[in-house]
Amino acid sequence: MNKRILLLTALILPILALMASAYLKSAQRSSGEQVILPIEGFDPRDLLSGHYLIYQVDYGLETGCTEHDVETSICLRPQRQMFAADALPEDCTLFIRGYCDGSADFRAGIERFYIPEEYAEALEKQVRDKRGELVLSVDSQGNAAIRDLLINGKPWQETVQP
Amino acid sequence: MGMTQKKLERWQQAGLLTPGQIEAILAFENQHPQRANWWLYSFMILGTAIIGLGVISLIAANWANIPDGVKLGADFLLLAVLAGGIYQQYPNQQHGIWFEVLVVGFMLLCLASIGLISQIFHVGGQWYHALLFWAAITFLLSLFARNGFTRFFWVTLFLPGALWSIVSGMGWHFQHTLDEFPAVILLAPLFAAVLYSTCIQVKWLRGFSPSLFFWFQISAIMALAFADIARSGGEMMDYQVVWYFPAYIAAGVLAVGIVLHKDYKWLNKLLLLAALVLLLLYYHPDWLFSGEQRYTLFGSRDHAAVSFWRADDIRAPLLTLLILFLYAIHAGNVGHQRTFNLITFLIGLRFVILYFQAMGGLAATGIGLIISGSLIIGIAWLWYKGRDRLRAWTKELKA
Repeated sequence: MNKRILLLTALILPILALMASAYLKSAQRSSGEQVILPIEGFDPRDLLSGHYLIYQVDYGLETGCTEHDVETSICLRPQRQMFAADALPEDCTLFIRGYCDGSADFRAGIERFYIPEEYAEALEKQVRDKRGELVLSVDSQGNAAIRDLLINGKPWQETVQP
Repeated sequence: MGMTQKKLERWQQAGLLTPGQIEAILAFENQHPQRANWWLYSFMILGTAIIGLGVISLIAANWANIPDGVKLGADFLLLAVLAGGIYQQYPNQQHGIWFEVLVVGFMLLCLASIGLISQIFHVGGQWYHALLFWAAITFLLSLFARNGFTRFFWVTLFLPGALWSIVSGMGWHFQHTLDEFPAVILLAPLFAAVLYSTCIQVKWLRGFSPSLFFWFQISAIMALAFADIARSGGEMMDYQVVWYFPAYIAAGVLAVGIVLHKDYKWLNKLLLLAALVLLLLYYHPDWLFSGEQRYTLFGSRDHAAVSFWRADDIRAPLLTLLILFLYAIHAGNVGHQRTFNLITFLIGLRFVILYFQAMGGLAATGIGLIISGSLIIGIAWLWYKGRDRLRAWTKELKA
């Protein structure tokens, strides 16, 4: 193959891959069904890490993970309940896929919310006071993507001052 | 006056060169100008990296006020402009400093773009997956780099991304994040060595081999040092063998490569295989180690309960020294002078540390300090005077 064409491929490939990545994330965020779930800080010391908030999503379950490191799904409709990934009932019409980690916490890749540094302290306080909610987009395959963070039911930009 | 001219004058004064020969050398050098100096490359690339970091900081500081579409648009536009610059510079690539600088800038911006996308869409992924993704999308471009630094940069980011992704991808249940560390640190030199052997065989990948060899040596020293410290402290007993599975696979592939290596005599193969097996045994939870120590930290007093040869803090340094010694003989035998010097220096250093481990209490006294100082001087002198003889001996070792 001509070296110039190969170089052109080498330059276009990363740009296309990054564009595809951004497009897929955007499509996932805008196409799924909207779900709002409350969040809380599980450990005040670890709540703020650099430029993002880490928190625990409250799925409204009575019992959490009973096993470590297993693929798991949380059914949100008709009834909120945790199931092993391969044991999800057919009548479950809305669910979030994830896994129970080594600490027996359910993880769905939505436990991090990036924030500008100047809003960090104010947001941390609100989330610790259990005023935070996460707006999610959940597709039919159970993939969840973050749309927004609400504080007292409003987008965080409207309620928190730097 | 350049260094070459100074040296030529010295050689002329010593009667090694005639004026005619000097003129011929200078004429040749003038016709073949040297490639840009490494420091020029380094500063240009450093400048690019700082500019890149500045752009990222600007975006990061103000990102809440900039709409997502604008951020992504500006990012992709910048990538496209850099890509255009690289393509335009390509005919000059053999001697083109701008080509290399733009390639590094483009690669850095690709990495920053991954971060930007994660930030905008709140992606909760792992850093090593991001590095592996970056390495995958920039691999083809890295093949066009002519400067060693660019390939070194790529390899340096690729290796941790690949290593952590492999270990975490096995899906084992690690109680703590630190549990993964021994599995990664043992895999690192073996994986780098396998990649190095592969790159040496494939012509278009050969440019990566110096960087891989560098990281093989650094990670091997780190793996030894880590095992030595952990084992000397009676640690790693509760580790599970299954967590080393990727390292065992890499070791198997490496062993086959060593056995089939055409340029190695059976002596080299034997030395390398022995060092490999000993390294694996070093990390095995309980075959060679009991978890019992003879000395407390710095050796101020000893535990009478453990015999000298059964104690982990005696076995660990002995194993380290044996592995280093085997590799030093191999390096000396194949003519790797710098590696040989480094390894024999490490052997001396480990002896000194072993002395402080075992005799730490004595070292706190006046006599102890005199003995310690004498030991350091003695080992340094022995290393300086004896290494050439030892290297000559290793070279003379025949199959």
